[in-house]
Parts: sequence; C-alpha cells; structure tokens
Amino acid sequence: MTRSLQACWVSFSQFAATFGGFQMFTLRLLPYLPRAILRPRLITEQIYSLGALSLVLIMFGGFFVGTVLALQSYSTLLEFGQVDALGAFASEALVRELGPVVTALLFAGRAGSAVASEVGLMRATNQLAAMELMAVDPLQRVIVPRFIAGVVSVPLLAAIFCTMGVLGAYLVGVHQLGVDAGAFWSHIQDRVDLFDDVGSGLFKSFVFGVSASLMGVYEGYYAAPNAGGVSRAATRTVVITSVWILLFDFVLTGMTMPGV
Amino acid sequence: MLSHKKPPNIIEIQDVRYSRGKRAIFDGLNMNFPRGAVSAVMGPSGTGKTTLLNLITGQLVPDDGAVLFDGKVVCPCSRHGLYNTRRQIGVLFQDGALLTDLNVFENVAFPLREHTRLPEQLIRQIVLMRLNSVGLRAAWQRMPSELSGGMARRVGLARALVMDPKLIIYDEPFTGLDPIAVGVILRLIRQTNDVLGITSIVVTHDVAEAEMLADLIFLISEGKVVASGSPLDMQQKASSMVRQFMQGLADGPVPFHYPGTSYADQLQTMSRT
Amino acid sequence: MSTETRAIDIGVGLFILLGLGSVVFLTSQTLGSSGLSDSTSYTLHARFDHIGDLKVRAPVALAGVTIGRVSQISVDPMDYQASVELRIDKTFDQLPIDTFASIATTGILGGKYIELGPGGDEEFLQDQGEIEFTQSAILLENLIGKFMVNGTADKDD
Repeated sequence: MTRSLQACWVSFSQFAATFGGFQMFTLRLLPYLPRAILRPRLITEQIYSLGALSLVLIMFGGFFVGTVLALQSYSTLLEFGQVDALGAFASEALVRELGPVVTALLFAGRAGSAVASEVGLMRATNQLAAMELMAVDPLQRVIVPRFIAGVVSVPLLAAIFCTMGVLGAYLVGVHQLGVDAGAFWSHIQDRVDLFDDVGSGLFKSFVFGVSASLMGVYEGYYAAPNAGGVSRAATRTVVITSVWILLFDFVLTGMTMPGV
Repeated sequence: MLSHKKPPNIIEIQDVRYSRGKRAIFDGLNMNFPRGAVSAVMGPSGTGKTTLLNLITGQLVPDDGAVLFDGKVVCPCSRHGLYNTRRQIGVLFQDGALLTDLNVFENVAFPLREHTRLPEQLIRQIVLMRLNSVGLRAAWQRMPSELSGGMARRVGLARALVMDPKLIIYDEPFTGLDPIAVGVILRLIRQTNDVLGITSIVVTHDVAEAEMLADLIFLISEGKVVASGSPLDMQQKASSMVRQFMQGLADGPVPFHYPGTSYADQLQTMSRT
Repeated sequence: MSTETRAIDIGVGLFILLGLGSVVFLTSQTLGSSGLSDSTSYTLHARFDHIGDLKVRAPVALAGVTIGRVSQISVDPMDYQASVELRIDKTFDQLPIDTFASIATTGILGGKYIELGPGGDEEFLQDQGEIEFTQSAILLENLIGKFMVNGTADKDD
C-alpha cells in the first residue's frame, strides 16, 4: 500500500519536474523564433519530412474515419428520420473533434516520435555538442526549425484529414446508403459554421500542433545520450503528447462549444 | 602603447577548481599549452580529461580559477564572446560527430555555410582542399553511415580545420581504430600542426601514440597534473604513478581492486543474510 | 540546386497547396454559395416584437429558397423592438416595398429563419431599406400554454 503510494508520488513529482523543465525550455525557445525566418530552407526541409511525409497516413486515416462515421450514424439517424443530416453530422464531428484530435494523435505517433528519436540520436552521437563547439547554436539550427515545421504542418494536416473524411462520408452516404447528394451538402452548409466549427477546429489543431512538436523536440533535446534514452524519448513523446491532446481537447471544447 | 605581442601559451589554465556534486574533479589545476606544439593530455579513465576539454571550450565554467585562450578568459558569460572564441578552436570528437543527415561534403562545408556568406564556388574550393588534405576528396558524396571509423574521423578533422582555427583539440583520436588508421591519424595530426602552424591538444590514453606524436605530455591524476615534460623526460620519471601509467602496470597507485571491504569480510557478511 | 532539394520543394509545395485547398474546401462548403460580400449583396432592415432564437447567419428565404443571411441583431432602446439586419443577394434586388417578413421555423423543433413574402407594389426596396410588415416568432411554448389554458377552460363549460 505505502509502496504504491510512494510510486504514485514519485511519478507525480517526475511529472511536475518534466512540466517545469518543459516550461523553461519553451521560454528559452521563444527568442529564437523570429530569427528562424531568416533560414526558410531549414523549415521547408522539416515541413517536408514532418508534414508532407505524414500525408499518406493522414489522408488514409481521414478517409476511413469519415466512412465509418457515415456507416455508424446512418442507422441512428434512420430511426429519427433524419438521414439527410448525415453529411452535417459527419462533417461537424470531423471538423470539431475527430479531425484535430486524430490528426494530432497520428502526428505524434508518426512525426513527434521521429523528431524525438532523431534529436535524441544527435545528442547521443555528440552531433549537438559538435555544433555547439562549431559556434552553431543547436536550438537555432536543429530545434526551432523542427518546432515551426510541426506547428505549420498539423493544422494543414487536420484540414486535409477533415476533407478526406467528408469525402469518405459522402462516398458511403450518397453512393452506398442512398442519401440525396443535394441534401448531404445543403445540411453541411446549414449546420456547420465557419467560425464556430471550422475556426475552432483549426484553432484546436494549432494548439495540438504546438504541443506535439514542442514535446518531440524537448524529449529529444534532453534525451539521455544512449540507446535506452533515445527510445524512451520517442515513447514518452507519444504517450505524453497523447495525454496532453486529450486533456487540451476537453478544455478547448468546453471553451469553444457554443452555449456551454 | 600596449604591445600586441601574443602570449607564448595559447591556453593557460590557472588554478582551476571544478567539482561535480561533492566530488572534486580538479583541485588547483595548472597547465600551459605552448603555441605551435602538439601537447598530449593523458591520465587514467575518470580523471576528467573530457571535463578539461569542456572547460577549455567554455561548455563548463570552473568553480574557481580561470581558463585563458590567447590571453583572454574563456567564459560563457557572453554568448557572443564565447562563440567568437569557439570559432578559433577546432574540436575533433572521438567518433567524428558528423551530422548524419548531411553528406561528407556538406559536413565539411557546414561551418562555412553557418558562419560565412562565401560564394558557392569558393566554398567548393575550400572544402575540396580540406578533404584532399585528409585524403578523402573522392569520398565527398558519401553519407556518414557509409564511412569507416577512421574515415569519419578524418572527415571530422577536415571539418574542424575548415574555419582555420588557431587551436585544434583531439578527443581520444586513436580509440577503436585499426593500426593503419592510427598511423594515418598520427601523420595527419603532426602534419596539420606543422604545415598550418597551429597548436594541437590531444586528449588520449594511448601511451605509445602519445610518445610518438607529442612534443609535451601532461599526466593528470586525481585532479592535478602529476607529471609533465617531453616524452623522453616522462620515460625517465621515477614516480610510481608515472611508471604505472606509462608502462601499463595492472596494480600500483591506481589499485587493481575497486576499493572496499576485504574479500573475507564480504563473503562473511553476504553469507549471513 | 540539387535534385534532392527540388524534390523537397515540390513535396512541400504540394503539401501546403493541398492543406490550403482543404481549408478552402471546408470554408466554401460551410458558407455555401452565398458567401455574401458587400459587392454581391445589399442590406435591408426589419423590426420584430420578438425574434425567438433567431441567430446571426440564419438564412433569409424567399419561397423556401435561401437568398440571404441575417447579418446583425440588436435591440432598439427607444421602443424595445428587435432590429434585424439582413444581407440579401443582389440578384434578388426587386423585392416590392410591401414585402412581408416573418420568422419561421424549420421543422417542429428546428432553427429559426426569416421567410419573405413578396407584396404587390410597383416600387422596390432599396439598399438600407426597411421592411415595414413583419410577424414575430411563434413561440411554441406560448402556443402550448394557450392550448392548455383553452383546453381546461373548455372542460369547465
């Protein structure tokens, strides 16, 4: 009993320490951000490896989430005689919730962990130290471009995810379940709001993008310089980012939901 | 008028104290590295050779005392000043520490691209010249993962030299290399030092190589310099510590057994539980 | 420029285009065709005693077809009436001056919208014009209340 309490306390204090270190790291990063614009090449390279290379996964995920959403909601809507609202239902769920959240989770698994292990390996093989000794600041050269690229990529990926999802729902709903195509789109127009839904979805995915990318570079930068440390950094990035995303999602949904 | 005569020692370590936690690593360390010479820093593992390297490059700050580079204190108090100092120091890491996502050419070009705005044409010439001097001009397109340990170190050397440093520090340059690669590195260190007229510090525990290479050897143990001098001097020193290290004896001032209770005591206590 | 950096540039360019294209797609689908800007629409005003839960951006319909949106809702402090601003598509700029505006409901429990009933006058409403004839929202709860009161009153007879 006391042992498990102790374990709880240890993991809690670890969490608190990580959080504190994380905040310090974030503050240290801020002054570097404006100067990063001077080297756009570094950022595009990272957008390529973090964003563009995640594209297939995101499109695949979005499409199938959309189709499943349409299939699932169809029977319920049929019961209430509201089958026409299928498009509105699916796209609102996608744009508000599933798009930002699932995209961020997939991004954390695909790109966040990759950043953590890449930077961690650079730490382990003295590459960061070598840069430091060549009078090149690794925060400016390595960390900040990856961070910015992540922040840019996630909202774009989320938008692509939602679009693929709506198209998936359209294919299943209209071509398989026989919902009227006109009704499908007009209900979306009616029900989904640009600011309340699309805007808040993009805002959410921006916040998620910041947390996922920050976590990846942070864990990598402070990884223990050995094989275990690198793999731990990747794992922790995925786990902690996922917890954060779900937590943030709850808070942000509460904040942006009209009438809550 | 102040005279602009350069100080005779490129690095002066003055009474440096440094401790990690409660363990004192350096306790009043004094060293002078003369300009133009190849100095070897030797000592048993765990005597803080790497810490010394970090103190010289300003990655660590001494608790007390000072490290002077070219007559000026190395201090991370101003990032700008520190980076200015570091630009004049080349460091070759044990494994080369090449950037794994860049090829050989880009690795060597890296400091130039970061610090200068030279035209591409000129960068190409400088890089190829440096690669040629380490004998790897033809390998310019290879990725670091395709290089052997010795080749990676040679690329690292080319990179360390590309900014024309005044001082170059080698961290364990011979470890884990086959005899041919060791011979190549030995020759390269000596050649670079003499041809370019720079100063070299080699941190190593390979006695034979250090004796072949160095003009001056420092032997550090327990936070202090226990002996220094030319290789010949060191051979003749009578101190038991120097003899143990230089001749590679298993037991001596550095004991074979990790200090602790006696064997008999431990057997007794462990059988009781 | 090497072929590798060109490939990266193309990849990033396509990715960003695709992302922005998706944002545009989502935006256009939610706004529909009636992205009403100043150049494609004109403004009308209408006053109601009660607007129910009419919201900004609710549709304005003519014979059931959406021709505009509610752009602003406020209360006139002088006579305590709700003042509603409507943006109407310019293609429908021939609404007679005696056009009738009522607040209607989609389905039984659906959202509110404004239904316009065109009058017969020769003169047309101009930009910033006022719709004189309006009917307030029918509040379902009031109807139910009335029905119940009447129902019990009938029984008492």
